[in-house]
Amino acid sequence: MSPAQLASLVLLIPLISAAVIALFLRRQGALASYLSVAAAAGIAVASAMLIFGGQRNFPASVEWLRFGGFAVSFGFKFDDLAALMLFVVSFVGFFIHVFSLGYMRDDAAKARFFGGLSVFMFSMCGIVLADNLFMIFVFWELVGFSSYLLIGHWYERQSAADAAKKAYIVNRVGDFGFLLGIVMCYWLNHTVNLTELAARAPAGGLVFSRAIPLLLFCGAVGKSAQMPLHVWLPDAMEGPTPVSALIHAATMVAAGIYMLCRIQVLMVPQALTVIMWVGTITALYAAVCAIVQSDIKKVLAYSTLSQLGYMVAAFGLGAVLSRSPDGYTGFVSGTLYDGPAFLISAGAAAAMFHLTTHAFFKALLFLGSGSIIHACHHEQDIFKMGGLAKRMPWTFLTFTVGVFAIIGLPFFAGFFSKDAILFLARQNNIVVFWVLVFTAVLTAVYMTRLWRITFFGEARSESAAHAHESGATMVIPLVVLAVGAALSGYGFFYDHLLGGAFKGVLSLVPEPEGPAHWMMIAVGTGAMFVGASFALGYYRPAAVDRLQAAVPVVFGALVAIKESFDRLYGYYVAKVQQRLAVLLDVIDQVLIAGWIVRGGTTVVGYLGMGARLLYSGKLYAYAFWILIGVVILWGFAAGGF
Amino acid sequence: MTFPGSTEGLPLLSILIFAPLAVAAVAALIRSERGLRWWTLAGTTAIALFSLQLWTGFTAGTAAFQFVEHATWIPGLKINYTVGIDGISLLLVLLTTLISPLCVLCSWSYIKTRVHEFMLCLLVMETAMIGVFCALDSILFFVFWEAMLIPMALLIGVWGGPRKIYASLKFFIYTMAGSIFLLVALIALRLHTGTFCIPDLMGQQYDPAFQCWVFAAFFISFAIKVPMFPFHTWLPAAHVEAPTAGSVILASVLLKMGTYGFLRFCLPIVPYATHVFAPYVLWLSVIGILYGSFAALAQSDLKKLVAYSSVGHMGFATLGIFALNTSGIEGATLVMINHGVTTGALFIAVGIIYERLHSRELAAAAGLGRFMPVFTFFLGAFCLSSLAFPGTNSFIGEFLVLSGGFSVSLLLVACAVPGVVASAAYNLRMLQRIAFGGTHNPEHHDLKDLNFREIVTLAPLLVFVFWIGLHPQPFVNVMHASVQHLLAQVGAFPR
Repeated sequence: MSPAQLASLVLLIPLISAAVIALFLRRQGALASYLSVAAAAGIAVASAMLIFGGQRNFPASVEWLRFGGFAVSFGFKFDDLAALMLFVVSFVGFFIHVFSLGYMRDDAAKARFFGGLSVFMFSMCGIVLADNLFMIFVFWELVGFSSYLLIGHWYERQSAADAAKKAYIVNRVGDFGFLLGIVMCYWLNHTVNLTELAARAPAGGLVFSRAIPLLLFCGAVGKSAQMPLHVWLPDAMEGPTPVSALIHAATMVAAGIYMLCRIQVLMVPQALTVIMWVGTITALYAAVCAIVQSDIKKVLAYSTLSQLGYMVAAFGLGAVLSRSPDGYTGFVSGTLYDGPAFLISAGAAAAMFHLTTHAFFKALLFLGSGSIIHACHHEQDIFKMGGLAKRMPWTFLTFTVGVFAIIGLPFFAGFFSKDAILFLARQNNIVVFWVLVFTAVLTAVYMTRLWRITFFGEARSESAAHAHESGATMVIPLVVLAVGAALSGYGFFYDHLLGGAFKGVLSLVPEPEGPAHWMMIAVGTGAMFVGASFALGYYRPAAVDRLQAAVPVVFGALVAIKESFDRLYGYYVAKVQQRLAVLLDVIDQVLIAGWIVRGGTTVVGYLGMGARLLYSGKLYAYAFWILIGVVILWGFAAGGF
Repeated sequence: MTFPGSTEGLPLLSILIFAPLAVAAVAALIRSERGLRWWTLAGTTAIALFSLQLWTGFTAGTAAFQFVEHATWIPGLKINYTVGIDGISLLLVLLTTLISPLCVLCSWSYIKTRVHEFMLCLLVMETAMIGVFCALDSILFFVFWEAMLIPMALLIGVWGGPRKIYASLKFFIYTMAGSIFLLVALIALRLHTGTFCIPDLMGQQYDPAFQCWVFAAFFISFAIKVPMFPFHTWLPAAHVEAPTAGSVILASVLLKMGTYGFLRFCLPIVPYATHVFAPYVLWLSVIGILYGSFAALAQSDLKKLVAYSSVGHMGFATLGIFALNTSGIEGATLVMINHGVTTGALFIAVGIIYERLHSRELAAAAGLGRFMPVFTFFLGAFCLSSLAFPGTNSFIGEFLVLSGGFSVSLLLVACAVPGVVASAAYNLRMLQRIAFGGTHNPEHHDLKDLNFREIVTLAPLLVFVFWIGLHPQPFVNVMHASVQHLLAQVGAFPR
């Protein structure tokens, strides 16, 4: 099969699955779930053939709409960047599908859930394979829609329905910046095709503008939940846990970072600075918020925000192409420029590297939390858990691997990818470096706190006391992802196990050498050690948060920081927007009322006195007035001849 | 302009224009209401199928008017019966013939009194609407334009809701006021050129001041019809009181006459004034988008909600038209068609709710999705279309309009964005409340899901939502040459 056909297959399989479920299997939940999982397996196989088949940048494009000089096409751009992202989506996606089989076994609306998952896989693969910005946008909206469907899966709960709506609308705000960016890119560069844009860069044929990358970045701010549009992601935890793992941790929220890497060629230094700071602040802010959460999924949600902040910051720290007589070089570690096909900087590579390891360990952590929530009969408060290490050994073991990976314990995945980002920051911006190091300390604090309180001590509720290990469909994905979380930081994992398929991206990940190397290891490990030992020493597996009980002022302040944005937006929606809407309505009513009361003389001044005469309520009078008007005009006209 | 005789073969347009009247004449003879409904349905469906000949016979590559028929009508005043269509009017004629049978279907059980008169009104409306889009003589245009008014006012005034008389009068006075300005402009042009023939009015070298006066008269007339802010206040009142079929015709076809008027009269006849006024009209459009979308957020009456959303959507149409470039005008034409499809469908959906609950309050409809899954599916698709979701018809239209507006001013487009976000908010609010939301309403338990007739009513519109959304090329192809020609006419006059 040709690579273009394989790529089409990757899109077609989930689309067919979704269509069949929607049309025929709405009442056959079990069949729908098997079909959806089979589709995910099909995607994984087809993507593997595509990724490891070695073909890159094959031409595949069809024109969708053309008039005059304007043309929009649909096509594939498959380079190492797309290959890496597709690997993450299809591989992690498949295991989350398997996990869902167990997790959603007793759900009444299984068919809707699995249909939604297939729609999601279709749209996510579309983003990955798209060869132009317009096509990315179409699938971008589609993932937003499937996210809406899946967050609102348990729509009987008002909070779930509200969260779904909030997610869609907040994303829509970012998406319109994105759309404007696409339009602007088209008007200035006459193309939105990624390959063509990259091809124009060396010839100097690209119009650079600060507005284009920043408008496009708006899309990433929405989808990757960066400040100030981050508010939807914690609420999105109302969705079933596998959805949180797949969409709101591993893949969709990372699409913003992927998209940024895709448009690397359009970047200018000022835009990169903005991006860097947005990412850095989000990383710090979210880590602070995570410390005071008591809902296991909320902790993980804020942790996802924080890690996405790392990725965005990494991208922003990356090099801008600087034109030199020899060609293109970046500031740090070089920027690989390989003909028209490929263009990526060290910052993008570091971001993608962290995206990959994060996909493994965060999906693992979410699925682990899912396994716990399932066992505890949908109890999500960590202070009502406790003692789960003994009762759920597999979950405990794999979750522990996930925790090690995220806090950056040496030799686990997060250690390597976070180090790469910290090193980049150390080279480029020392303030960002220390903020990110401090965030790493906080990361170790909140993850260790979560781990300690959830798994140790005595069971603090009925449901935790009767928890038992989940079934094979849930445990096997945990084990596989744990292996990924352990290994995905190593070069040999990609070079040997995965045949070097992503070399184009990962070979550019910045790596410190010599003394700098040891310094980075010391800082990274030190941050982890400080945070983890503080949490281990301070937090006890108890029914209340020790920080809350002991220093309520600090705890309260942290909660206030967390809630400030929700309050602000809540105020906007309730007090500004709703009032504006009501005001407009009242204005309209007044215009209408004014019409009745004053007989149309003042309000419709343009009709003047005539209108009052017209307002007699008798149709024949109106006909009469037309006639008179015509006659007068006609007379006037005739006189003019 | 002299037209090369009449086209060979059948006078397709005349048949199309007068066929509804013929159907009406026969309908008047049918006694039984059941027979009458079937006959009107069969007649309008046959007309719709017949109109497909225009689609197949239309030559896409040329901007010339096609299917032209020419006959002398009132020789003394040089008024002629001239009809013909270009790519833009072709789409609107087809939209009209598509909507008409659906109006019969959605009135099937809704209209119980004076069925004969109702069907007559519908059929007279259809004649007038097709006539407006085909007329190439300005007096003929005006006659059809006015001819629509009376059946429409009757539709609202006789079969409407509790405040029907008020709404019908308001509609009548408002549009009548607009028509007077239209007539003034047409007569002024006649005095200047000595002709009523629309193509002959184009490309003349009018005095700039004269152009501005003519434009102003046209603008008031068409802006009321669109309706543009601040001429929109008749619309919610008319929609709320009108029967379902009235709302559908009003939203799907009547509003398009305003934007069609801009395209047919303002742009090609007074290009100088168009350039002068375009910036103001663009900002009015943006205000309309914002105003309509935010006002829709506050509505609890479903019909009002959809009515205000129309103000927002039509703002996109005028925004695209006065951007005066290819993607703007082609996008605007698509928005016109899309709005006809989507908003028509939403009004039919609201009518379906009203027939079951005898209420149009959002709160009363909350949660009925549980008992009407098929209905919810349709409603969901149309709401997605209304919020311009990619893959549905509205997306491509609004995208083209935005990119057309962008080339005029980034600020303009950026100001429209909150309206676009609000459109997601009000559509989701409506969909979510109806499909999922709210408390269990005991009244909903014995609700019947859509019956076969209702599915047949909505299905064609759903097909167009996705057809235009996924494969817009054929629709763009038929209008492209006409739009290019139009742009040449607008650009021809030096600023």
